[in-house]
Amino acid sequence: MLDPLPWLILLPLLWATLAFVRGPGRGGRLAMAGLLLQLALAGGLAGQVAGEGARVYAVGGWGAPLGIDLAVDGLSAVMLLLAQAVALPLAVYARAYYAAHDDGARYFWPLTGTLLAAMNALFLAADVFNLYVTLELLGLAAVGLVASSGGAGPVTAALRYLLATLLGSGAYLFGVALLYGAYGSVSLTELAPLLGADAPLAVFLAAALMLLGLMLKTALFPFHFWLPPAHGGAPAPVSALLSALVVKASFYLILRLWLDLFAPLTSVAAAQFLGLLGAAAILWGSLMALAQTRLKMLVAYSTVAQIGYLFLLFPLATHTGALAASGALQGGVMQALSHGLAKAAMFTAAGTVILSLGRDDIARLGGVSSRLPLTLFTFALAGVTLLGLPPSGGFTAKWLLMSSALHSGQWGWVAVMILGGLLATAYVFKVLRQAFLPVEAGTKFKPVPRMLEWPAFLLALASLLLGLRAGEVLSLLGAG
Amino acid sequence: MSLAFDLLLIAALLWSAGRALTTPDLFRAVVLFIVFGLLMALAWARLGAPDIALAEAAIGAGLTGALLLDALGHLRSSIRQKSGLIAPSAAHRSEGTGNNTPTYFLNGLVIALSTVLGLALVWALLELPEPAVRLPELVAAEMAASGVAHPVTAVLLNFRGYDTLLEVAVLWLALLGVLTVARARMPGPPRLTRSSLKVPRLLARVLAPLTLLVAGYLLWAGAHQPGGAFQAGAVLAAAAVLLNLAGLLPGGATPQWVLRVGLGFGLLVFLAVAAAVMGQGTLLQYPPAWAGALIMLIETGLTLSIGLTLAGLYLALSGATRK
Repeated sequence: MLDPLPWLILLPLLWATLAFVRGPGRGGRLAMAGLLLQLALAGGLAGQVAGEGARVYAVGGWGAPLGIDLAVDGLSAVMLLLAQAVALPLAVYARAYYAAHDDGARYFWPLTGTLLAAMNALFLAADVFNLYVTLELLGLAAVGLVASSGGAGPVTAALRYLLATLLGSGAYLFGVALLYGAYGSVSLTELAPLLGADAPLAVFLAAALMLLGLMLKTALFPFHFWLPPAHGGAPAPVSALLSALVVKASFYLILRLWLDLFAPLTSVAAAQFLGLLGAAAILWGSLMALAQTRLKMLVAYSTVAQIGYLFLLFPLATHTGALAASGALQGGVMQALSHGLAKAAMFTAAGTVILSLGRDDIARLGGVSSRLPLTLFTFALAGVTLLGLPPSGGFTAKWLLMSSALHSGQWGWVAVMILGGLLATAYVFKVLRQAFLPVEAGTKFKPVPRMLEWPAFLLALASLLLGLRAGEVLSLLGAG
Repeated sequence: MSLAFDLLLIAALLWSAGRALTTPDLFRAVVLFIVFGLLMALAWARLGAPDIALAEAAIGAGLTGALLLDALGHLRSSIRQKSGLIAPSAAHRSEGTGNNTPTYFLNGLVIALSTVLGLALVWALLELPEPAVRLPELVAAEMAASGVAHPVTAVLLNFRGYDTLLEVAVLWLALLGVLTVARARMPGPPRLTRSSLKVPRLLARVLAPLTLLVAGYLLWAGAHQPGGAFQAGAVLAAAAVLLNLAGLLPGGATPQWVLRVGLGFGLLVFLAVAAAVMGQGTLLQYPPAWAGALIMLIETGLTLSIGLTLAGLYLALSGATRK
């Protein structure tokens, strides 16, 4: 029988290269076929993990520490499913978007294919050096996509993003070198038993450098400076890919390192510090979102805020007891999933509005409710997930995080989450209120193809219904 | 004797790095950067890592240096266009020595952080334990099954071939990024006149075939001594840059399909081999009897594509065709 694991990496790399060979702007259909297969492969792999538990795959047959191992468990299976499930509707959307708006389509498909290959490889990696290679591949693909529409603004944002992401992976690589120097191996499975609380200084330094580098890549406050111009200025399909998936990849790696490799080094103080940065991100990101005058910048700042929730899981899961810790992990992962789906929906909806109106000033959205009802509905549904209202995935995530905070007696985080929810309500309704105003005189709405509206709607619907299927997701997460 | 040489090398490395960072003249900074790269290659050679020394000299100093010099040329001509009055070097100077307070504060912060990190690193390295896992011995034990005789090639193409597969994609991606923005390029530096091209042309015509020969040798040598696809590709790219500088090879931001096939070829061959061997085992598990031949096949494809990619980084940005 075909093993889905290696193909999740080979297939996107293959269609990316073929799309490049076919020429600028070509390869959309190829990508769609590839993505459909990838979704099936990710589903198959998730089924295997749910049935038989976690497993290791020795590339080249050598096995760690000589060779490179890949590994899949519940967490990586869930993230793989998210990546393929978001990418497929986005590909459908992107084809329609670039058909209507030719700007920046030239290398979209090769870059997107490589981006997905890098992401899948990252979720499957079990080797700190191999992880570095996947981070580099992911970062460069993302930078290329941000720059894709050309023009001074996007290229400046892309350069700033490039410098931030290179600094981040440089710090990470520094840590890898120190780990190799201390233990002579880069395999996670070899390193984990060697690493104890009595580790030499080099290992503490390695942990600090790797986490800092990854925080920069995840755009955690105060390292978020590169995110709004990069995500807000890119073409809509690119913004959606970056906000929904790319920042989650480096977050996944922080989570994995914190829970596995560096677990003996973690302290309550460090966890509280991460939590405080997360809380600051929630408040600052939400306030900045509220202050924006452009729709896409509002959505981008909302990403800064939503990333903050992910980091609340660290104070809740570190040295707090099994019950609070497992609830926090589940809540954090649910937040990553539901934000991934909802943010992809929000950015694509915003892109549709821009294509139709030709601008994205929030103050001049009047008439969107009557001319683009499905797109506005999509935006509102995605908003429901960000607010954390039932039955959305966002509700399940925040509920799990809050009950974990109550179990471990950390009331402060509950207050932050409630305040963040209120601010999210304010910025989502800021958009909705304008959209329900009558059409401004002299405004022309260009008709938009259905293939722009429906994929976005499906993503929003998925983020809403995720809460109803949380049981399945969490049992997959718990498998292995 | 060798201690004196090493100390001199360390001093020269620190001096060139420090000067490259502090000099207000961008041209001088680039030249110092190239000097730093060459000294670094020497340092790698002294540390017994000739493969890295080769790569550092060819890519770190050579190709990066060429790219930086080219970028400087673009910068100068665009500054000249914008303001005919300010001499380019003066413009760089005024930009380089911004004496406003935030810049000073930021520079101070960066210097303080780097110092703390540097001291912590020295301390950490001084008390580094004896590694628990001894990879060099594991590599030596499995060399017979690797299909090649040079340990670096065995690690790069066999034991950790999967990393290399992804790294080839990284390189290709860097070119994609360049092609994405190359569209909005500025006019190139002033073209050389016909008479001034005479000598470079003659030189390029003689050197290019020789470079090809060297690349072929490096590729072949990789199986049993320092060399291999990355070094061979870098040498190929050098030949292309030379031909371009002599006006014999046009640059351009949109590769035609033959070139696109060439650029993707190495990655496609690598993917095909990786997938084909899965019929018998796992990803990239070469049958021992075939390992040598498969590695040579992959390296040949990679040499071509790496050469084209590295050359492409330069040619796509080198602006208008120089004739």
